[in-house]
Amino acid sequence: MSELPPTTSVKRWLVTTNHKDVGILYTITALFFLLFGGVLALLIRVQLWDPANQVLSGLAYNEAVTAHGLIMVFWFLSPFAFGFANYFVPLQIGADDLAFPRLNALSYWMYLFSGVLLGVSFFQGGTLSAGWTMYAPLNIPMYTPSIGSTGAVLALAVFIIGVTASSVNFLVSIHHSRAEGMGIMDMPMFTWSILATVWMMLFAFAAMLAAGLILAADRVLGSVYFSATEGGSLLWGHLFWFFGHPEVYIVFFPALGVMLELFQTFSGRRLVGRKWVIISICLISVQSFLVWMHHMFLTTINLEIKTLMMATTIGISLPFDLVVFSLIYTLIKGRIQFTTPFLFAFGALLLFILGGITGVFLGAIVLDYEFRGTYWVVAHFHYVMFGGATALFGGAYYWFPKVTGKMYDELLGKLHFVIFFVSFNMVYFSMFLGWETPRRVFEYNPEFQTFHQIGTIGAFILGFSFFIMFYNFAKSYVSGPEAGDNPWDYSRTAEWAVSSPPPLENWPNRPSYASGKLEFVKDFVPDGGPAVKTDSDGNAATDGGDTHSDHIKEYPYWDKHPSHASIWPFALSLMTAFFMFGLSGFADSVTFIVGESLASTSVEISNLLYPTFIIVGLVGLIASGVMWGLEDFYAPPSEFAERWPFNGVEKVKLGMWFFLASDVIVFGAFLSAAIFVRYNAGWMTWEPLTESLPGLINTFVLITSSFTVILALVAAHRNSRKGLLASLGATILLGFTFLAIKMWEWHHEVFDRGVMIASNAHGDPIQASIYYVTTGLHGIHVVGGLLIACYLFVRAYQGHYMDDERPVEYFGLYWHFVDIVWVFIFPLFYLF
Amino acid sequence: MIDPIILQPGGDWRAQAEVFEEIFFVFLALGTLVGTIVVAYTLWNVYKYRDDGGEPKESFDAPTVGELPTGQGGPKAKKLFLSFGLSAIVVISLVVYAYGILLYVEEGPDTGDEGDIEILVEGYQFGWEYEYPNGHTTTGEMIVPADQRIDIEVTSRDVWHNFGSSELRIKSDAIPGETNSNWFSVSSEEVEAQGGEATYRVECFELCGQGHSAMKGQITVLPQDEWQEWYEGTGGDSAEGNSSSASVSAAAVGGVPA
Repeated sequence: MSELPPTTSVKRWLVTTNHKDVGILYTITALFFLLFGGVLALLIRVQLWDPANQVLSGLAYNEAVTAHGLIMVFWFLSPFAFGFANYFVPLQIGADDLAFPRLNALSYWMYLFSGVLLGVSFFQGGTLSAGWTMYAPLNIPMYTPSIGSTGAVLALAVFIIGVTASSVNFLVSIHHSRAEGMGIMDMPMFTWSILATVWMMLFAFAAMLAAGLILAADRVLGSVYFSATEGGSLLWGHLFWFFGHPEVYIVFFPALGVMLELFQTFSGRRLVGRKWVIISICLISVQSFLVWMHHMFLTTINLEIKTLMMATTIGISLPFDLVVFSLIYTLIKGRIQFTTPFLFAFGALLLFILGGITGVFLGAIVLDYEFRGTYWVVAHFHYVMFGGATALFGGAYYWFPKVTGKMYDELLGKLHFVIFFVSFNMVYFSMFLGWETPRRVFEYNPEFQTFHQIGTIGAFILGFSFFIMFYNFAKSYVSGPEAGDNPWDYSRTAEWAVSSPPPLENWPNRPSYASGKLEFVKDFVPDGGPAVKTDSDGNAATDGGDTHSDHIKEYPYWDKHPSHASIWPFALSLMTAFFMFGLSGFADSVTFIVGESLASTSVEISNLLYPTFIIVGLVGLIASGVMWGLEDFYAPPSEFAERWPFNGVEKVKLGMWFFLASDVIVFGAFLSAAIFVRYNAGWMTWEPLTESLPGLINTFVLITSSFTVILALVAAHRNSRKGLLASLGATILLGFTFLAIKMWEWHHEVFDRGVMIASNAHGDPIQASIYYVTTGLHGIHVVGGLLIACYLFVRAYQGHYMDDERPVEYFGLYWHFVDIVWVFIFPLFYLF
Repeated sequence: MIDPIILQPGGDWRAQAEVFEEIFFVFLALGTLVGTIVVAYTLWNVYKYRDDGGEPKESFDAPTVGELPTGQGGPKAKKLFLSFGLSAIVVISLVVYAYGILLYVEEGPDTGDEGDIEILVEGYQFGWEYEYPNGHTTTGEMIVPADQRIDIEVTSRDVWHNFGSSELRIKSDAIPGETNSNWFSVSSEEVEAQGGEATYRVECFELCGQGHSAMKGQITVLPQDEWQEWYEGTGGDSAEGNSSSASVSAAAVGGVPA
């Protein structure tokens, strides 16, 4: 642990784990990606000026279209929203920080470096050109051969690692660290929207991770999932849209949360039907996983399923109706102030209404048949997603005074809104008018040229409008008037109860809502007197604490200060990026020449750059992981928090549960892929590739290792160092036995019988790919578990875990999970 | 040999384009109506309840920082559910109406088995190949007779394409390893109106690679007798470009070199 340097030092921003710092980093990085994606959008619009225009080649145009979509959806919309979430969710729920500050920094650095990888992919022979939907089999090297295409896919994988860490972190924080007296229904609406978002993220991004890993296997290792005619294309469609539909709400919900906050603050009214709005948000989150096939109405899925999906699609529009009406009714009888934040939030509502109505069109299958692949779809989702982001810009103006302590320029803000709103509709409404143009086509029917030209002019004005915002923020940050702690007349949420900007640890004393409103409670008084309270206006009674500086609070009953700095999240992410960069060029620089047997296989390396990065990255990854584990980093638990529905669950354990829940989806997707392809190939035409005996032995090995992990926990609990070492050692031994049998099986049972990752002497090549990739993923989980077990073993040898056996317990949870997964893999690959 | 049964226009069948125009009009009209009402109502209220700087009414209960939310339901919840119910009725009835039409489009008009002409459409980077019942194939241009139901079976030999003609309002995903069915029909009146030969633009509606933009094709509809003459001349061979009466645009044939 090191001390946190001042904000003026570059080092501060590399080591900080404070949620407000990380929030600022997210916001600024996301705005950079807005510019990046925006420039690509302008390139597209220039190409569309004239159907005969050829500024970009066909391939370059496809790259621009793909990168624009990926950047805006992944690297701009969500991270921009999560900049606010990082900064304000802990403040709104009365927490000192997120539950896992280092993990939060890790999420940010993974996000940043994944974006860097995506940028680099442009220089690796061109980035991915298969569209942001990456439909199979255009997404495999046969059709998109550049190294940069693989680079972009791996960049997405790194991004998702960050997202998963972030989802776990927010879930634990919101479920575990709410101030005393703040029940889950009492949370501010922005926090509610983030809670629903991270629940969806946890599961949806897991499906995307599985899709991305399978695609990476196809691109790097040469498996043949997505080129398989046994449903390979549809498999991608299902996996992608199972993620893709919730993703729409994942990017929209934070914006909705901002709208819900701002409508209340600038009308002075409380949300109408608040309970019903929350229920609607929860319903939508669940329903979002049940509608994905409406993106696939024109594929070969049958009428019954189409009908079901149409019903669920219409079903999901109904809770949205309720939310929209609640927003509108909240304004009635208010005292509406037309500030810049309100204008943006209100504009977002109008845009969303239009996006929603045009969405109902798409829900009717007959209309969807014609709209499929046209600018109707493009216009619709820009109205919904970018329309939603409009509210986020409102959020930026709303919270700017809190973050900087300075007030923005209201006139420039309103100017920005007017230009933004008009040009937004120029760009996207013209798309409705020229909707018969096919997507991602620039040689379009000249009939629609006028509409596309209006769109292009609008796009440049839209792009320009953001420079008004940047100028406004920069000027106000330097020389704007002081904003004060609470510049808004009718704000309610707790971030407005502290100074602008808030102190490092947020609160003058422990925040509590036990009395029905926010109070700051001093828990420990040396002379044993009663607890002292201050009201939310900060009128300290006897509290002499300076709330306006970055000083570290004293916690008299804790012997440690909370930590705020660690370099390891940065290092770990950088090493991951190195590793992934190396992996992107692996297939092009390393060739395996297979001889008679595995032993006679030789390796040819044509380019040392990529293999070097793989090795450096891998070594660095393990080293920073160990250093992370050894670092003395203290994030105090919230002692008096509201924890429904997870009362009594320790926060790391809760985090482990959430992580495993997402991993269930990853494996679920892999196993579903195996079942889906086999079903398409004809279930009974496949025989297991290997004898069942090695699989059976491995099943016993793994189940036994589950018992030894339990013994390890019991030993640690009894403070028996020898017992702990013995049972951990046995677990490690069993793990290695499993891997040894696995290797033997891959070698003699499978490989030597002519079954390789892309070819199969005994049947479909895709069967071989599925076998290697699925059991391989499980094998990687075992290797990861063994690395942790070895780390625990060394630490146990040094005498740790005697008073605190929790790390052993959490490792055990993971290990049991890996064993359970095997129980599903065994019958599917060895028995039937 | 195909023994065509003439579809009677104005009878019990409608082309997909006609079906689409109707349902699109209904949705557009209702969508515009509902949208205008909601937006106008909202704008009016926002104007009416603006903060004009005057004294707040006595009933106005300003929120304070740090309060816990109250009024989870509130008296306005009733109004909320009324609006919600109304919108649900509009949306659900629209969809039920649209569903009836979907069933028709899925089935297609009943012409008896012998009346249909089945054409295999295979997408490739970057063009379309059509195979007729006699085994004859053409690329770029599909030549079909008027007044007859044309069944197309769509697939792909490389990547995912989408075969579509905006004017005919037909569209089908062309997926490697899958076969997708669709149908269309053009009346002889329509063919006559277009000067004895009706042509429709075919485009690819799914990104399929660098030549996606230029992946165009054409559907040419000829009067029954002319088509019959052409079809008999193909003699089941698979040579290209022996279409006598139809002009195959040079750009359409073969598409863009890969």
